[in-house]
Amino acid sequence: MDKQPKKTYSFSISKRRKVLTYLVLFVGAFISLLPFIWMISTSLMTLGEALGTAFFPASPQFQNYAEAWRRAQFSKFFVNSLMITLITLSGEVTFSVFAAYAFARIEFPGRDLIFNIMLSTIMIPAMVLIIPNFLTVTWLGRIGPIPWINNWPALTIPFMGSIFSIFLLKQFFAQVPNELYDAAQIDGAGHLRFLFRVVLPLSKAPLMVILVLSFIGTWNSLAWPMLVTNTPDWRPISVGLMNFVDEAGQLIHLTMAGAFITIIPILIIYFFTQRQFTDSIARSGLKG
Amino acid sequence: MKKKSFLLRSITGRQGRRLKEYLTAYIFIAPASILVFLFGIFPVFFALYVSLHRWRIVRGDMIGLKNYGTAVGNLAYVIAFFLGIGALALVCFIIQHILKLKKKHADQPWLAIFPGFLFMVTVLAFFNWFYHALPEVLDIAFKVRGLERGQIVFADFLREALRAEAVLPAWRIFLLALLASVAVSLLIRRLWRNRRNFNYQIFFALGFLALSVGIGLLAFTLQEVAGAYEVALAEGSDPGIWPQVISISAGVLLLGAGYLLWRRAETQATNGGFWLHLLAALVLLVGGWLLIGEIPMIIANGDKQVWDGLKVTLFFSLGTVPVQLTLSIFLSVLLFQKLIGSNIFRIIYFIPYVTPAIASAAVFQQMFSNRHTAPVNMFLRALGLPPQKWLFEPRGVITLIAEYFGKTVPAWMAGPSLAMSVIILHSVWTFVGYNTVIYLAGLGNIPKELNDAAEVDGASGWQVFRHITFPLLSPTTYFLSLIGIIGTFKAFNTIWIFRSNMALGTTDTFSLVIFIEFFEKLRYGYASAMAFVLFGIILTLTLINNRIQGSRVFYG
Repeated sequence: MDKQPKKTYSFSISKRRKVLTYLVLFVGAFISLLPFIWMISTSLMTLGEALGTAFFPASPQFQNYAEAWRRAQFSKFFVNSLMITLITLSGEVTFSVFAAYAFARIEFPGRDLIFNIMLSTIMIPAMVLIIPNFLTVTWLGRIGPIPWINNWPALTIPFMGSIFSIFLLKQFFAQVPNELYDAAQIDGAGHLRFLFRVVLPLSKAPLMVILVLSFIGTWNSLAWPMLVTNTPDWRPISVGLMNFVDEAGQLIHLTMAGAFITIIPILIIYFFTQRQFTDSIARSGLKG
Repeated sequence: MKKKSFLLRSITGRQGRRLKEYLTAYIFIAPASILVFLFGIFPVFFALYVSLHRWRIVRGDMIGLKNYGTAVGNLAYVIAFFLGIGALALVCFIIQHILKLKKKHADQPWLAIFPGFLFMVTVLAFFNWFYHALPEVLDIAFKVRGLERGQIVFADFLREALRAEAVLPAWRIFLLALLASVAVSLLIRRLWRNRRNFNYQIFFALGFLALSVGIGLLAFTLQEVAGAYEVALAEGSDPGIWPQVISISAGVLLLGAGYLLWRRAETQATNGGFWLHLLAALVLLVGGWLLIGEIPMIIANGDKQVWDGLKVTLFFSLGTVPVQLTLSIFLSVLLFQKLIGSNIFRIIYFIPYVTPAIASAAVFQQMFSNRHTAPVNMFLRALGLPPQKWLFEPRGVITLIAEYFGKTVPAWMAGPSLAMSVIILHSVWTFVGYNTVIYLAGLGNIPKELNDAAEVDGASGWQVFRHITFPLLSPTTYFLSLIGIIGTFKAFNTIWIFRSNMALGTTDTFSLVIFIEFFEKLRYGYASAMAFVLFGIILTLTLINNRIQGSRVFYG
């Protein structure tokens, strides 16, 4: 406060720097968003405009979305993807919550060994697993009560045991203070009641992260669904979109509409949860 | 009488509560553990089994290391040989560890050798059973063909499979070994009451296991090499595996010695000593490098697809990781200042990462289309440059630039194809936001006092960044580079979308080569072998990175 001149000096520099900073940040944001802008703009064009040089449609053609939806059978694929996500998530969350609770709060012989063996599977690249898992799933479908290929089990069951979710939840469960458990035990509550009455209500944030990450993972998966579905019955939206892009070819106004349709659910979820989302990404990332 | 009291004790009282606690825990982890085991651990052994066979949809003959030999040439034998040697070296480390433990506590752990040995026998017996039982169990799927689903009594088939000729004795040996080892283990614990007793047993078991794996692998490799020599001599050629083994071993030894000398040079007191060490280290390193330099030639003698796939993956890694790290460290430092709206920028930068890659790839495909009216080609035209074929262009970037200036470059300088460059661009675009968010978290961990102190001392913004921020971010940088490099080795979805026949396979990374071999050519055994090569590369990268991280990264 006593060095007035110096302060104004530094202020003028930081003002110039501020303008530069904003300029760079705006350019970055523009590049990040440019493909989206182009996609939305093209999806509202007529075919002639889309193949021509226009950057914006003369009049927005909203019926493109209806046509893309109809042509790509998106109503079918949307339902498929939603079902796959729901089944996977319900299994994954249930199993992970129980396993993470045991790993975090119960002492039993072999706990660290089992957990570390399970954790080491994160290192294994998917390409090593995809062939034997395909053989396993085919085998299970042949001998089991229901077929697995072209059906929900092959698309969901292998993803229900997720060590990533267990790891994330375990980190969180371990932070619940021991005093709470002691108090609950005095009140006569066992592990189950403690888990459902105390731990889970405290763990909304990590559960949210698991829900969102698994949702995105299921929505994005391509290689495995391509492998285990060969009819549209259970094919998810990712494979549906890929096939539509191949089929529609030069009808790019329709493919862009289709691409945008598949992005919308993810964007909605992202905007509602972005705070927890980026935070947990940063935290899980730094922990490695 | 005594037994009854033990039973009584175990279901009531403190002991009983503890047992109930264990049981609860095992029930809690059972579903997740079974699934992780079935789809995450078991497949590794299954894939190894598949990779040792000729396997096109259905299992064919066992052909040993031939699939690996086809993929990476003689390097397969060299690596198998090295793995055997490595297992034997592990035995030495374990013995050293046991001796150290013994000396430290003045124990006499030799009794623990017996249960250790039996544990090893048990593990081997289990894998022996696994090896014999797997084909029988797999064949159930063929036996039930043509039966109605309701009629299948799976338990009967399974019993039949597990009672097959070779399987049952293997199972009995396993059970016998298991019983014997548990009994002997308990007996030794009674005989020698020591807290570390069981630890010694485990260490001895690991030592014996490494020993048997090492000897087994060496014997297997020798047999395979002998077979390869036989085949080659019959054809009148010389496979030259032994000279390669010797030269590569010498190269690795020289590199190791050179590295040690290099490290010692830093601690030399006198100037002369420092330069002498450095010179010697350099000579050793160059010599080792020359000897190891044969490796690419050996791989090039293998499958050309593997070689090309590795090259494309290398371009992909080198093209994406440094660029996205530079961009994101820059953006994160800018965003870290107290700015109005920095949160909005963060949200925007992260959008590409959450967008389904298939959708964003479809958009990039059209933006980088070969049409003259596609956005990027229009942009080029506005700059006065000729339109490009982008994803349909197999020629290298450097070749194209040189051509524009009317020059030609040799083939080895062509660089990644233009099609690959689009994929690199898309990857950078996708991951800059993710890296920025993690860098921001890293910046948040740097104590603010350090920056303030430096500024008080009159350091410029760039100096603060160069000497304080950047070194303190090194753990984040290492983490992100490892994740990025491994990510490029694993990448599949987007490249599969971008892939076109016109690019002549110049966009097929190693992962793609494996998937195509499996999905389109249906050569399961060969694809599994290639997948293990990929696994080996990723493991090696991780280990090297961990080593560097241990010695070079500054943790604040």
